[in-house]
Amino acid sequence: MAEDQDMSAREAAAIVQDARARARRELVISAPVVYMAWGLVWLVGYGAMWLSVRGQHPYRGPSGVSIAAVFVLAGFAAAAVLVVARRATAGIGGQSARYRCIIVAAWATGYLILLVVQAAISGSASARELAFAGLAGPLLLAGLTYILASVLGRDRPAFALGAWLVIVGAACAWLAPAAVLATCALAGGGAFLLLAVIQARFGAHAS
Amino acid sequence: MPADNGLDPVIHAPARLRVMVTLATLREGDDLSFTRLQDLLGLTPGNLITHLRKLEDAGYVTTAKSGSGVTARTSVSLTQQGRKALDAYTGTLRQLLDSASTNGTRAH
Repeated sequence: MAEDQDMSAREAAAIVQDARARARRELVISAPVVYMAWGLVWLVGYGAMWLSVRGQHPYRGPSGVSIAAVFVLAGFAAAAVLVVARRATAGIGGQSARYRCIIVAAWATGYLILLVVQAAISGSASARELAFAGLAGPLLLAGLTYILASVLGRDRPAFALGAWLVIVGAACAWLAPAAVLATCALAGGGAFLLLAVIQARFGAHAS
Repeated sequence: MPADNGLDPVIHAPARLRVMVTLATLREGDDLSFTRLQDLLGLTPGNLITHLRKLEDAGYVTTAKSGSGVTARTSVSLTQQGRKALDAYTGTLRQLLDSASTNGTRAH
């Protein structure tokens, strides 16, 4: 075939570079978008809840508006991540698709368990115990989910993020409710956003 | 069999090189639908089939058909052998470019 002989090593190298960049752009879920979306939910949503409880004596809990803001933000983030993921993974089958199902199922099961635990302890637990289960619980769950995703997808940054979120979530057990909100917003949301910036700068992708 | 320049002639064609590099972006154990691959590469179905057949004959890719009628799907994936061949190809390419740039520096 004429095209076989006509291609120089330099042209071949350019094709490799171009095809690799295009395939990564089109076929791999953009990690910065995913981390940015969830980072904003934690930072802005939990930040709003924290602002609503500052100065409360005694602690009564976040305002209804700030709780609603978290769910609205989480809805937007989930929709954005879904669009990005579906666009990137269209036509891709095999192991990664199965892993994504496992990850989503693990998170959903964990969240359901969290809701059940909250309902079970709501009558007898102190404000501090309820804040840990209801506010830091989702951060712990997110951390464990990222650790699972990192193991399945061999993704070291995701493991680092997951481990950090678990540490932050666990540390919340020693904090007062308002401090739990501030810690989740700044140390949790901040970690997501930091990783988004690092991965956007160095061109990494989510699994 | 490698050509004079040491590059694998099965891979050393623009369209097949693009196919190999694109499929190598997927994780091991994943496959890509024929239609998505065609969209990505901008090739006609006939052209893509011809190149895939060459790669399949060399053992570098596998194709699998599943479903029937409107749910029919043809998927393409890189084999272990294909991944190794692409690694060897890019390694040789790097050596050729390095030696070319060294010779160019000496000439100056």
